[in-house]
Amino acid sequence: MLRTALGKALKGAQLSPKHARVMSQQPKKPEQIEVFIDDIPVKVDPGTTVLQAAAMVGVEIPRFCYHERLAVAGNCRMCLVEVEKSPKPVAACAMPVMKGWRVKTDSEMTKKAREGIMEFLLINHPLDCPICDQGGECDLQDQSMAFGSDKSRFTDIEHSGKRAVEDKDIGPLIKTIMTRCIHCTRCIRFASEVAGVDDLGTTGRGNDMQVGTYVEKMFLSEMSGNIIDLCPVGALTSKPYSFTARPWEIRKIDSIDVLDAVGSNIVVSSRTGEVMRIMPRVNEEINEEWIADKSRFSYDGLKRQRLVTPMLRDNTGELRPVDWEAALLTVAKQIKNAGANVGAIAGGLADAEVLVAVKDLLNRLGSEALCTEHTFPMDGSGTDLRSSYLLNNGIAHAEEADFVLLVGTNPRFEAPLLNSRLRKGYVHNELEVALIGPKVDLRYQYKHLGDGTDVLQQLIGGGHEVSKKLKSAKKPLIIVGSEVLERPDGAAILAVIQKLSASTKAQEGWKVLNVLHKVASQVAALDIGYNPGVDKIRENNPKVLLLLGADEGAIEKADLCDNTFVVYLGHHGDHGATIADAILPGAAYTEKQATYVNTEGRAQQTLVAVTPPGRAREDWKVIRALSEIVGAKLPYDNLNEIRDRLDEVAPHLTKYGEAENANFFKQAQDLAKNVKTQLDCTPLDVKLKDLSDYFMTDSISRASPTMAKCVQAVLKQKQSKF
Amino acid sequence: MANRIFSKITLSKNGYPTISLTLRSLSAGPPPGTPPPQTKIKFGPLADEDRIFTNLYGKHDWRLKGAIKRGDWYKTKEILLKGADWIINEVKTSGLRGRGGAGFPSGMKWSFMNKPSDGRPKYLVVNADEGEPGTCKDREIMRHDPHKLVEGCLIAGKAMGAKAAYIYIRGEFYNEASNMQVAIAEAYQAGLLGKNACNSGFDFDVFMHRGAGAYICGEETALIESIEGKQGKPRLKPPFPADVGVFGCPTTVTNVETVAVAPTILRRGGAWFASFGRTRNSGTKLFNISGHVNRPCTVEEEMSIPLKELIEIHAGGIVGGWDNLLAIIPGGSSTPLIPKKVCEDVLMDFDGLVAAQTSLGTAAVIVMNKQTDIVKAIARLLMFYKHESCGQCTPCREGVHWMNKIIYRFVDGNAKIEEIDMLWEISKQVEGHSICALADGAAWPIQGLIRHFRPELECRMRKFAEVQQRASC
Amino acid sequence: MAQQTVRQTIKQVKPILSLDKEEARKRVVSLYKAWFRQLPYIVKQYDMPKSVEQLRDRLREEFNKHQDIKDVRIVDMLVIKGQMELMETVNMWKQKGHMMAYFKDTWEPKPKDFLSKFLSGKD
Repeated sequence: MLRTALGKALKGAQLSPKHARVMSQQPKKPEQIEVFIDDIPVKVDPGTTVLQAAAMVGVEIPRFCYHERLAVAGNCRMCLVEVEKSPKPVAACAMPVMKGWRVKTDSEMTKKAREGIMEFLLINHPLDCPICDQGGECDLQDQSMAFGSDKSRFTDIEHSGKRAVEDKDIGPLIKTIMTRCIHCTRCIRFASEVAGVDDLGTTGRGNDMQVGTYVEKMFLSEMSGNIIDLCPVGALTSKPYSFTARPWEIRKIDSIDVLDAVGSNIVVSSRTGEVMRIMPRVNEEINEEWIADKSRFSYDGLKRQRLVTPMLRDNTGELRPVDWEAALLTVAKQIKNAGANVGAIAGGLADAEVLVAVKDLLNRLGSEALCTEHTFPMDGSGTDLRSSYLLNNGIAHAEEADFVLLVGTNPRFEAPLLNSRLRKGYVHNELEVALIGPKVDLRYQYKHLGDGTDVLQQLIGGGHEVSKKLKSAKKPLIIVGSEVLERPDGAAILAVIQKLSASTKAQEGWKVLNVLHKVASQVAALDIGYNPGVDKIRENNPKVLLLLGADEGAIEKADLCDNTFVVYLGHHGDHGATIADAILPGAAYTEKQATYVNTEGRAQQTLVAVTPPGRAREDWKVIRALSEIVGAKLPYDNLNEIRDRLDEVAPHLTKYGEAENANFFKQAQDLAKNVKTQLDCTPLDVKLKDLSDYFMTDSISRASPTMAKCVQAVLKQKQSKF
Repeated sequence: MANRIFSKITLSKNGYPTISLTLRSLSAGPPPGTPPPQTKIKFGPLADEDRIFTNLYGKHDWRLKGAIKRGDWYKTKEILLKGADWIINEVKTSGLRGRGGAGFPSGMKWSFMNKPSDGRPKYLVVNADEGEPGTCKDREIMRHDPHKLVEGCLIAGKAMGAKAAYIYIRGEFYNEASNMQVAIAEAYQAGLLGKNACNSGFDFDVFMHRGAGAYICGEETALIESIEGKQGKPRLKPPFPADVGVFGCPTTVTNVETVAVAPTILRRGGAWFASFGRTRNSGTKLFNISGHVNRPCTVEEEMSIPLKELIEIHAGGIVGGWDNLLAIIPGGSSTPLIPKKVCEDVLMDFDGLVAAQTSLGTAAVIVMNKQTDIVKAIARLLMFYKHESCGQCTPCREGVHWMNKIIYRFVDGNAKIEEIDMLWEISKQVEGHSICALADGAAWPIQGLIRHFRPELECRMRKFAEVQQRASC
Repeated sequence: MAQQTVRQTIKQVKPILSLDKEEARKRVVSLYKAWFRQLPYIVKQYDMPKSVEQLRDRLREEFNKHQDIKDVRIVDMLVIKGQMELMETVNMWKQKGHMMAYFKDTWEPKPKDFLSKFLSGKD
């Protein structure tokens, strides 16, 4: 396993610089040393590499293999720089600076070294830039312009030509053109260090060396798409994006991913009113610079199965397209007839704006039947104290933990980026992980404590082998999957975990209790004051039921009265739309400026990358228009005004980028004592157990052909004997 | 020996402590471990009583009984009991330099390891991955005198405070590996190794590790990777193996011959060893003479013996007489060749060969007479390096491959004369830019060829062009 | 002293054509007359499916649109533009479509309130 070797080697060597943050928490700081980069003096900590020191004074050193989040390989040799009194150039990415070194990044020797390496890289690199998808964002192109020679000496092209390598098939997401590979091994290091899937490696020696999967197989990772970004050349490119657009002709909009509750930061690239691709955006607090495959590749689901026009069910039971006036008037009439007997269910992709608009509208009508699709226990403190339903300690801090207890969750598929943080802690920080729930593959070793609720009881009692570790840990984390809290005995489980969290001796400011949600809307909905779970709807049996993209089938037609009028407001013709009597087409997350709150309580906003298709409108505007026709006009006409309203309801909803901390753990625990529910003995379970379960979890990814292909490929790979 | 080429850097980089040492010895009395000044002027041939490897040709029993008869394992306990400092001082006095090629002073290298432990065990790794074309000295030691190596491991291990020794043996050396294994087993059975080795209270283990036949695994860090079970690809330095080596622990990688001579040095005294060869090049050395000589052989000789004498005495002269000599590669395939003119009076030691723009390397003398196609010979060497390049870093992977393509065109003369300068530049572009020194080893033969045989290359190209022109008319 | 001069210069802006209101009015009236006389020819030349009376009404409407304007300079500017328009019309630099554009009856005002904005899909 990677961990042991690295852990030992790390004692003397420094691994990836980004990991240094975790490692460098020694109490006393060693004395800084002074070095000179191009005669600019800079003081750095001992152990800093030449490249990092140069970055401090703003001197960029070219590189291919070096990546700040991966281990140093030092094999591309592009970062060679001259150091005074050294007879040969040194690799800046790997060489720690020594006191008084004078590094020359612009000297004749450095330039010659770079030109030489560039020439070597280019002799076997195909000249297919015009048909290469990386063209325009290719490190090799850019650096050969900046640092390469202006002429070619490769006369052998007339004699024996260039190297050619067979392409590998590593799945439906990543296209490989291995002739373009410059063997920087970034993809290999990503796979083994971050993704924890040792599928990639090199075979062959010297000029015959190839990067691949040894035997032909799919690269089975939920984070595989990141190797496309990491690849400095066009060897690994996106299959769905291939030959569709050029980087200079696309519009890039910063946005937020909403397909899980992590809220990864993304860049949506669009052209001609279509989303062309989605790439990660750096956010150290959340996703570093990775995103999961579902976030990256399910964008083609945004173009399929879309609701593009309002529809009404006619007397034959068919949904017929109508215009907005007709649709709104019909719905308004039904609402007026229903009086206060109106309910709403918010699905997993609903944004905070529409949530607050619906709440305001229903409250004006005199109804309180506002529910979310996903349940959360209401006994004890319920959702009154935010600390009970947030990932309180934050995603970034997960890597600093020294003991993690996972309860009824599979973070690898529910929140891949949180899992990558845990793995990082596991690899670099001697983190120990224990899991209660079904035995799943997390890509790191953990102690499986079983899947029964009795384990929790034992942990409380202190009779379990892990209890001591949990109690003695300085930075313990208990991460509970929201899924197990949806069980009938969810309240009891939460109460036990609250008690367990309180019994640890965590250091000051460290929050042990963490709830991991699965959908993007849940935290905002609970913050705004929605009731978790659809029980209220079942009890009240509303005459009009408003579904805000509720597609998980929490409520069926059979649960409702025959005369209940179901209105579906959403963007995909999924489960919710099939039971609807009226369909009001809304906007998907790439088509609206909307607020989402992630599982750690951080409000972030998506921005408009493309316009909603057809006659679809931004969701909150539909509600606003409806309210006017119903006669309970909502007092906001534009985004700023509804944001003011959000601010009124809960100020943190508009503090974009900041995670609003929650507290009152003690009070929550006290209230939890009143919980009457008992733990029942059914084993804890999670829905997403396998990679094939991961790809299609919501209306967007279910509509995506790429995701469907992924599922097929994973299932096929399982048949294979490799 | 493959590892000869690889620590060149360490020589130049860490070479200056030696200088400061000599300076100190000038000012005051010599500190302990300074070799006695050399007074001899004529070097070699070596007297039989001064040979260390007395069973080099396998004429006697190689097993424990025979080895003890030849003086191995004699008073090993006493040597061990004298302690690490004494051993290191004695080795320093002997002036022994690493026999793997780079010639780093062994005493100093061992002393790097002899510092208080930080809790991690220390390891000695013996580099028996002798893969350099032309070199065949370590295999002779391992198949005919394995106990010398086993005893050397114990003593060197004691000097470094190592917990165990790994002997990384080349995969192709099946018989050698089996003899070594027998020798190790015998030593264990006789109580010479293992817990309380030789009753000295020192615990020491020796393990064998067979390689899988990659030349690059002779590079010290690649060898470490290989022992750890990974692909044999050199690691970045720093951290040096003395800090982070095999399994993340401090490690010293030394050549078989270096280790194997240590017990004899300690028994006969460092001063005895230092009495051979010129100052800073002291000792005896195994020379492998191959190629166009009448009797190719491996022979133990005194350092600083003139090359001509070495060939005339031990190899029976050159095929076709001395005047038929074209060029000699003096230190294994990666050292630049020297033409006949230089061969006349060059001394076979580190400094003598550096002065002749080549290097002693593993002292594998490859002789080529005038019937040799010298360009083709060098091209074949390039083919070897191309094949053995691990492919990890760019200059070596792409550069050596490219040089190989060009030099094979040179064999026919299918090139322009400007390309000779281009090849020279490429070789300079490769040299010193890679992680390990394999690329340097590939560049040097080419540089040697161009330095000394440029007229030959140009002549071939002109001839080829003429033929082409005639054909096209 | 100097300050006062500056203030004076700023206050007395440079006239475009007319020095006072009366003069400007004269110019407007003469432009109106010029257009008025041209209308019968326009109907013929441009083969407009409109009567001269309809054009007269439209002309009056167009002038009345600016009846509230008091600033001499703006009046002057509008007159200049009107003259240019007239010249283009007389010289047949325009086409029928340009002339008929004055009678566009499908003109919709921009939606102002939320609901009409919503229904028209315009923001």
